[in-house]
Amino acid sequence: MSEKAILFDSSKCTACKGCQIACKCWNGLPSPTGLNENVFSGTLQNPPDVNGDTRLIITFNEMEAEEGMSNKSIAWAFGRRSCQHCSDAPCAQVCPGGALVKDEATGFVSVDDSKCIGCQYCSSACPFDVPHYYGAQSKVNKCTGCIDRVENGMAPACVSTCQPGALQFGDRDEMIAIAHKRVEFLKAHGYEKATVYGENEMGGLHVIQVLKYGVEAHGQVEDPKVSPMVGLQQIMKPITAVGTGATVLGLGAMFALAAGYRHKNLAYNEKTGDTIDVDTGEVVKHGDAQDELTVVEHLTENLPKKKGGSHE
Amino acid sequence: MDLTRRGFFKAAGATFAAGAAFQLASASPALAVEPDKNWKLVNTEEYTNICCYCAGGCGSLCSVREGELINLEGDPDHPINQGGLCPKGASMFQLRNIVDPETREVVKNPDRISRPMVRRPGASDWEEISWEDAIEEIARNVKDTRDATFVETDETGLTVNYTPAIASLGGSQQNSEEEYLILKAMRSLGVVAVDNQARV
Amino acid sequence: MTSHWCDFQNADVIMNIGSNSAENHPVSSKWIHKAHERGAKWIVVDPRYTRTAEQADIYCPIRSGTDIAFYGGLYNYIIENDLWQHEYVLNYTNASYLLDPEYEFDPATGFFSGWDEEAGKYSNHSWHYQVESETVWDTSEGGDYAWAVAEGVPEFTPPVVQHPKRDMTLQDPLCVFQQFKKHYSRYDMDTVCSICGMDKETLELVYSTYASTGQPGKAGAVLYALGQTQHTYGAQNTRAMSVLQLLLGNIGVPGGGLNALRGEPNVQGATDMGMLVNEHPAYLKWANTTDRSSLRKWLESQTYSDGYYTNKPKFLISSLKEWFGENATVENDYGYDWWPKVPTSPDFTMMSTFELMDQGVIKGYFNWGMNPCHSAPNAGFVRRSMAKLDWLVVADQVATESATFWKAPDMNPEEIDTTVYFLPCALIYEKPGIILNSGRWMQYRNKAVEPWDMAKPDYEMCDLIWREVCRLYEEEGGANPDPILKTKWDYYVDGKIDPRPVAWALNGYRVAGTECNTTSAAPKTDLLPGYGDLKADGSTACAMWIYSGFWSNNDAPLDAAEQPIGRRDNSDASGIGLNSTWAYAWPNNRRILYNRASADMAGKPWNPEKVLVEWTGDKWNLVDAADFVAAKNGKPVPPNDKAFFMLWEQNGRLESYGMADGPLPEHYEPFETPVESNPLNGALNSPCMQFARNESTRKGDSAEYPIVATTYSVTEMWQTGGQSRMCPALVEAMPSQFVEISEELAAEKGIEKGDKVRVFNNRGSVVVDAMVTKRIKPLTVHGETQHLVGLTHHYSWAGVFGTGDTVNDLTPNVGDPNSFTPEYKAFLVDIEKA
Repeated sequence: MSEKAILFDSSKCTACKGCQIACKCWNGLPSPTGLNENVFSGTLQNPPDVNGDTRLIITFNEMEAEEGMSNKSIAWAFGRRSCQHCSDAPCAQVCPGGALVKDEATGFVSVDDSKCIGCQYCSSACPFDVPHYYGAQSKVNKCTGCIDRVENGMAPACVSTCQPGALQFGDRDEMIAIAHKRVEFLKAHGYEKATVYGENEMGGLHVIQVLKYGVEAHGQVEDPKVSPMVGLQQIMKPITAVGTGATVLGLGAMFALAAGYRHKNLAYNEKTGDTIDVDTGEVVKHGDAQDELTVVEHLTENLPKKKGGSHE
Repeated sequence: MDLTRRGFFKAAGATFAAGAAFQLASASPALAVEPDKNWKLVNTEEYTNICCYCAGGCGSLCSVREGELINLEGDPDHPINQGGLCPKGASMFQLRNIVDPETREVVKNPDRISRPMVRRPGASDWEEISWEDAIEEIARNVKDTRDATFVETDETGLTVNYTPAIASLGGSQQNSEEEYLILKAMRSLGVVAVDNQARV
Repeated sequence: MTSHWCDFQNADVIMNIGSNSAENHPVSSKWIHKAHERGAKWIVVDPRYTRTAEQADIYCPIRSGTDIAFYGGLYNYIIENDLWQHEYVLNYTNASYLLDPEYEFDPATGFFSGWDEEAGKYSNHSWHYQVESETVWDTSEGGDYAWAVAEGVPEFTPPVVQHPKRDMTLQDPLCVFQQFKKHYSRYDMDTVCSICGMDKETLELVYSTYASTGQPGKAGAVLYALGQTQHTYGAQNTRAMSVLQLLLGNIGVPGGGLNALRGEPNVQGATDMGMLVNEHPAYLKWANTTDRSSLRKWLESQTYSDGYYTNKPKFLISSLKEWFGENATVENDYGYDWWPKVPTSPDFTMMSTFELMDQGVIKGYFNWGMNPCHSAPNAGFVRRSMAKLDWLVVADQVATESATFWKAPDMNPEEIDTTVYFLPCALIYEKPGIILNSGRWMQYRNKAVEPWDMAKPDYEMCDLIWREVCRLYEEEGGANPDPILKTKWDYYVDGKIDPRPVAWALNGYRVAGTECNTTSAAPKTDLLPGYGDLKADGSTACAMWIYSGFWSNNDAPLDAAEQPIGRRDNSDASGIGLNSTWAYAWPNNRRILYNRASADMAGKPWNPEKVLVEWTGDKWNLVDAADFVAAKNGKPVPPNDKAFFMLWEQNGRLESYGMADGPLPEHYEPFETPVESNPLNGALNSPCMQFARNESTRKGDSAEYPIVATTYSVTEMWQTGGQSRMCPALVEAMPSQFVEISEELAAEKGIEKGDKVRVFNNRGSVVVDAMVTKRIKPLTVHGETQHLVGLTHHYSWAGVFGTGDTVNDLTPNVGDPNSFTPEYKAFLVDIEKA
């Protein structure tokens, strides 16, 4: 079986959010049900970001059109924000519990939340800040490419439901070819910044995008990088018995370095060993250079029945 | 005639989706696998329906197992929407069932009212009422209002047979057979104030 | 729609005006994109840069409520630049017809000839054509109209055919074309821009692009919705678009048409059903106290002298026969007088019903899945009026604002004596039935699951109420019980109410061979193959002549899947998306209305690549079902100019005597307007505007309320939210209603994104969220800066997931004189940070 991809053509997307809703319905994801519990974002982008129960949102970005961007005075860039299913999927590489697994046949990275230990490595490793967590148990959730549907001969729910034909699903090579053809068409129609995204980024994404107004306008990351954390994490696995101080230090350094779409900037304080949220100043994780617990054990120690690590 | 795959199963409009087997006709055979018991649509029956929002007339497929709705999505054979549904259409499942954010279980939609209710004069809340009592009371109200206001002939002696005192509003949400029954009932009662969403 | 959804793919130019189709009819995008990819141009004319505008090639802003100025300018441009479709206009429209010499329009006053100041309305006498000659119906044996005097047909005097005087050179100053040209010569582009607020360069680009479809073989599609109809001249807006499409030869061709994107799932069905005060099922008129006060008067006033509506007596008698069954006989005028006759006064259309409740005239009210406390204009007045009802019945799936009007934040339940019944209804997939889309497709909904708990389908509720009312009248008598007890109500299968025998009634059947009250084991039907078989002699019964044929298989009359409506063959032999073997389109499975106009006078298609009908020299090749007389007595009828055979002239009307407010669309300002003069004529508002004098409307002026407001829907929500607000995923995707404000106005008012904003006028005040955007810009109108805001209207006090204020507290309860549709789309407000 050849690699698959979802093609998102932003020039055909009408930002109706059918994909956002179909994803929730097929995957049984809840929405808040308290009276007026949802807070309006001030734009059409609601909810404002992906979250533990929302795997996909449509993003909205309105601009005065610059020269060459469009023949109209306004440019309203719609984006599709969700997992892009990297070939070099750093989330799957760092996942200690095996909850995130790359399917070699399709290229999709699926998630099994029963194996998630809530360490949030994947969130930090992801150049697009996609994996989010839900519930008191802090389970990871993200797009799986509807691999259940794909394995049963159907397109992912978001693709099936797309009315304007902005989403397609098929062999990755074919999606790339369609994307290039479309970009040519757009350039000929006054959208000079139109570009294909996902062909080579992160070793090649399994979401290929036609971005009508260029990468940044549609909320995408210009040159996404595999986080340095990923390498450290792979080293960390065999050395956890030796002591974790160095690993935690490395991890903290990585938090600050991680590139991409991100809301939380974390920093590591070498003296105290604490991991700090740069924006709020809050200590996310208290450190102890003398302890003998692994990073995973640290990160999971406050979870019910997990205290003290996995040997219990 | 080139029947679409769902056209073969037309008894009561239901098609039986034995796992994924039927899906393969239009899907990539390379991806075909044996349906497993975790497959959401295993052993579901499909019923075609039409969306309840704008007048696009998009087709939908309702997947039903043991009498309960399991999934609703666009009908891929439908020539207008070709399997697509907009956000409202895609959420039609939730009109009946939603996912509880606490338990993450599928539950009945708590916003839906599924029993007749009555609000009495001056009351600040509803009370439940049986269908039988509700119908009896409504019919009595209709008759009392009609009898008290009915105009059989107007001032010129013309037979007019109407009541100005009852109005009926709505119809664009109903199926056509229902529209006819509602219209027929209202007009035969003598209602002239018949209007529906087409007015606005 | 004269066309249908899949036909948009065939357009060369698409113009959305008063329609935000990508948001409110999302499936349209699929088909417009197909045209767009092929190279079609897409124009959006809208006060706001919408999600549809983002898709389009050209976006043209416009001040809400100034569409006729825009169209008038476009006509002028088309005529000045000789871009109209000559052969089409000359032959298929009334361009060559001579108008009455008294016809006149006076720009100084803004009135057409025939204004009656005392009555406050027009007499249309001078808007008619001059008559060349007259002929009468041939009712002799073997004559075309022998049926009209057959046994069982009620006596009536057939109409006289008046043949209008024509000037095929179009030079006579009284011909429609010359009068039309003169009328719109005032609409120059500078004036249009000054009224509408767009810049001239953009306007000219729009005009030249759309007018390019006047070339034979090119197709332009107009897509409109409530942005056109919800005005005090909404019906004239619709006419204006029809006229545009006729001028450019765009009606009846693939990829053309005048396409009303309708907003309710079965509003097409409800319109067809004539669920409106003065309407009768299938585009006939309901009985009244003037020209339709008896069966004879109905037949004489309604039957057309020529064209297909010469058959109206067949349709009406068949309707009466279905309604009253064996009680309808020729001797009792088929029961016509049992029908209620709508009096001339008072008016009973929706907005007026709230005045009548307020006055204590209307005491009982049924709401069938409609929620006027939220959706009707001036909603505060609506709920205060409803509080005067004795009883209210609401059939719905949620406790709507109408069901809970007594719980509104400004109401005191203790003071309200209304008894309110809430009847829980089944969802669409919990019952079977017929639904029609905007393209007139009749499709079948199959029941998937049982209604939850005690909910019932509306047909069952209606049957329960009806039978109980009948029981009371049978047992107790009362005010004339005959109209009730003579009504035929026999739609039962195995003793249970069932929509299928109702489908037979809609399709039509021969009375002798059909029993609606049936058993599933042995149904007895003689269903008609189509409306061509209807008779005026009482031998056929049919509730909806236009539907006839959709349910005509007598071999399986209880199986929807075996009927034309149940067809699921999507192979589309036409190659242009007609999909004639999928479901059924009324009338007679015709997919594109007026399709005769897709070919020239010789019957040769304007566009040989996209053929609907074609004269091959000795017969018609019919890809679509003919919407004209293609054969008579079994012989082909060669091409002629009768392209619009549902009109007696059988030609399209550039000028129409049928409108209440003028034979040609003329620009007037909305009821509430920011300007003080009308550069095009001496009248500021339409003289025919309805309800403007009612005290309840509380007109605001621009000194106090300087901002133009319009309401609209977003794709994530729907109407009053009765359905969409019960879906948590949709509430999450659009959690509240908002006011869309330009950055300039926001700066002026000190408002920032996400602030709470109070929007207010004389009728109400609401607090909504601010959406500050570049997508609305202040316009320059009459040389001054004019601000415009947009309001969504999906929230209100009822519901468990999301609530908000009632935006329709602000909208004015005034309306169009033809359709009595409210003016939601242009009114005045002021705003402030809350």
